[in-house]
Amino acid sequence: MTNITPSTSGAGQPHPKPGPPKARFRPWLVRMGENRVVRTFGPFVPVILLWWIIAELEVFPSAFFVGPGTVFEKFDELIAKGILPAYLGDSLERLFYGVLFGMLIGVPAGFIVAMSAWARKLTWPLLMFFQAIADIAWLPIVIVWFGFSLTAVTFVIVYTIVFPLMISIVSGVEQVPRDVVRAARSLGAGRLQVFTEVILPGALPAVATGIRTGLGYGWRALIAAEIIVGTSGVGFLMFDSRRAQEVTGVFVGMIVLGVLWFALDALVLAPFERRTIERWGMIRTAEAGR
Amino acid sequence: MRTLEISNLHKEFVDAYTGQTVVAVGDVSFSIEQGEFVSVLGPSGCGKTTVLNIVAGFDTQTSGSVLVGGKQVDGPSPERGVVFQSFALFPWKTVLGNVTFGLRMRGVPRADREAVAHQYLELVGLQGFEAKYPHELSGGMQQRLGVARVLANEPEVMLMDEPFASVDAQTRRKLQEELTGIFETKRPTVFFVTHDVDEAVFLADRVVVLSSRPSQVAEIVTVPLERPRHWRSALDNPDFRHTVTYLTDLLAAGEPNADESEDAPETSAAAGAVGEG
Amino acid sequence: MTATPASRRGGHLPRRLSAAFWFAVPFVALAVIWAIAVELSGVERRIFPQVTDVASAFAEMWRSGDLFTHTGASLRRMGLGVIAALLTGIPFGVLLGSSRVAAAFFAPLLRFSVALAGIAWIPFATLWLGYGERAVVFIVWNAMFFALAYNTMLGVQRIPTQLIRAARSMGTPRHRMFVEVLLPGALPNIVTGLRVGLGYGWRGLVAAEIIAASAGLGYSIFLAQKYFRTDIIIAGMIIIGALWLVIDRALLAPLERRTVERWGMKAVNL
Repeated sequence: MTNITPSTSGAGQPHPKPGPPKARFRPWLVRMGENRVVRTFGPFVPVILLWWIIAELEVFPSAFFVGPGTVFEKFDELIAKGILPAYLGDSLERLFYGVLFGMLIGVPAGFIVAMSAWARKLTWPLLMFFQAIADIAWLPIVIVWFGFSLTAVTFVIVYTIVFPLMISIVSGVEQVPRDVVRAARSLGAGRLQVFTEVILPGALPAVATGIRTGLGYGWRALIAAEIIVGTSGVGFLMFDSRRAQEVTGVFVGMIVLGVLWFALDALVLAPFERRTIERWGMIRTAEAGR
Repeated sequence: MRTLEISNLHKEFVDAYTGQTVVAVGDVSFSIEQGEFVSVLGPSGCGKTTVLNIVAGFDTQTSGSVLVGGKQVDGPSPERGVVFQSFALFPWKTVLGNVTFGLRMRGVPRADREAVAHQYLELVGLQGFEAKYPHELSGGMQQRLGVARVLANEPEVMLMDEPFASVDAQTRRKLQEELTGIFETKRPTVFFVTHDVDEAVFLADRVVVLSSRPSQVAEIVTVPLERPRHWRSALDNPDFRHTVTYLTDLLAAGEPNADESEDAPETSAAAGAVGEG
Repeated sequence: MTATPASRRGGHLPRRLSAAFWFAVPFVALAVIWAIAVELSGVERRIFPQVTDVASAFAEMWRSGDLFTHTGASLRRMGLGVIAALLTGIPFGVLLGSSRVAAAFFAPLLRFSVALAGIAWIPFATLWLGYGERAVVFIVWNAMFFALAYNTMLGVQRIPTQLIRAARSMGTPRHRMFVEVLLPGALPNIVTGLRVGLGYGWRGLVAAEIIAASAGLGYSIFLAQKYFRTDIIIAGMIIIGALWLVIDRALLAPLERRTVERWGMKAVNL
């Protein structure tokens, strides 16, 4: 039908190879980019440099904006006086109790709601509603009930953690494949065994997601509570400095909070997620919640 | 007139992890006439998709040249529409929105592009589905939409990258038959990449066989089948079976072997001149 | 736009009525338990108001017009902050997502910023912008911006290469890629970012109003706390919760239904 097109390929003459310097340079850059520490902390170097330059050039008045040097001195001073360690300890203690009680309440409650259709029907609208009342809106009434105390702050953090946790446990249990449950039952597992052997481990990634979301909110609630309740803590340190028009203290507080979150993420959240989600090769459901 | 002309195409890249140079395409030359259907057949990993990506303009060659309509390929263009294995339909556009996409990009007025779209939707049997979204269609219908979307642009050459590999076996047969039907009525120029020997032979006027890496043209085989073609008669046709057997042996041998060319009647084994290997 | 199948809308009347009924039952039950508990425990009503006290506080706020002043002030700030965040966060995220180097560079910075966004900026906001309107809007914007930008970036990165190639091979010019492919392709993640961001923004709004405003729902409940009006506090909390549900049901849910769900892209998000 069509003519044969004699497409003669030229006898294989050697093709120019890319020069060795280029070949070596790229992997070096790529390898550096693959290093986790470099990937995570590298980007902060130019940011700090930029911060330093802006401060040196005095683009903004020093009452509003100070450079890394000033902040570091203040940091040193606050540590020497023992203020920062004490406040940091207070903040961490509140967060710890908040998360602890939040999990003690949220995990069992979440599984009860997830496992029982009736509990679900009766509580789901309430869950949605209580999740919708921003946790911070509880502060005024909590202050009335418990005064300006550790209990008041802890209450708010517990509140912020319980609802996201319950909601993600419900969706996590829903996502356990029905066939896996059926497989377990046909292999002779009873109802309780199905729960402990299949549903509980299957929903663990959701627990991890819920804790992350809850902590994201709880963390903010802690800062807000410390600003508003205002007796001690990193949030209080920031707002106290602001009241005294001392911008350096605000910078210190901000950096401490940032580093704290990074540490929390790297030392607590990430290992927990690795152990549950990644180990079982499950797909992460809510990478976005970070 | 030659629509597509590939000469001495060579592609190598540097592996990001090992830093070693990998040759994806050794030395490939062949051409496609206007209105011709050419299948490119080769073992998996032989770089046939790389060749298609270079022709499409998604990838650039290390050396060699690709001419389409006498012009050097430079980046993607509606002249070289691609039908993807993964369909690559826009989930946020309706069937009509997908078909008219290319025309809209070229600034064709609404009434005109819809008229063209309806014509091609009818050609692939999707009339009545204009307002549906891709996810509401079956796999076979999705790929018909993929074909209509490309043909609506009236490209110089339609590039198809294993387009039927992700549909079930029965649908695949049906789609292949429909594609020949479309080809026989519209006579587009088609560059069809596949690893399925039956499919390559059934659809094509000529089959370009690539060897495994570093790929070269092992042989170019002319398919001795009359058009219009149908599976029912093709399967009974000894010419079809011979060609399939010949190509299967060729692929199994891995290396091109010019001596076997006489086993396949009416094939033109002359074309695949091979470098030093 | 085109006919939405009725089943998606929640079906015919009896089914919707039954859904509404089952939505209301828990709230009625809660109110009854609350009323009985206050009655039986004999707790001081100044500390823990009776249901009726809250209802009358609500009526009082309605009559005096406080309800509308505060709600209006809060919604306006929220609206301004959200619009600012959408206009800045999405383009920034698309920009980062379309370059692999930029994404690798900014990803840790953005995650760091998401963790700090919103409330922690209140001291800065009030220092830089003074107490009042501008500081509150800044906090809402700030709370949303990073979550929105980060998720948009993830969304753009997750658009299948084949889709971008298909668009390019059909002759899409560079400047139209944003509207035609990147924005709709990233929408599932943008919606996630919007949800997360709105959550942070709403909380940031309440906190910022408590600290830095002289009107708004957050301010009103904090003021009530100073006068020990627990009935007004609880009424305010209920309004805050109800408003959020309305925002969720009236804005986010229809947006999702019309786009991500209609296009069958929901799975990407889950």
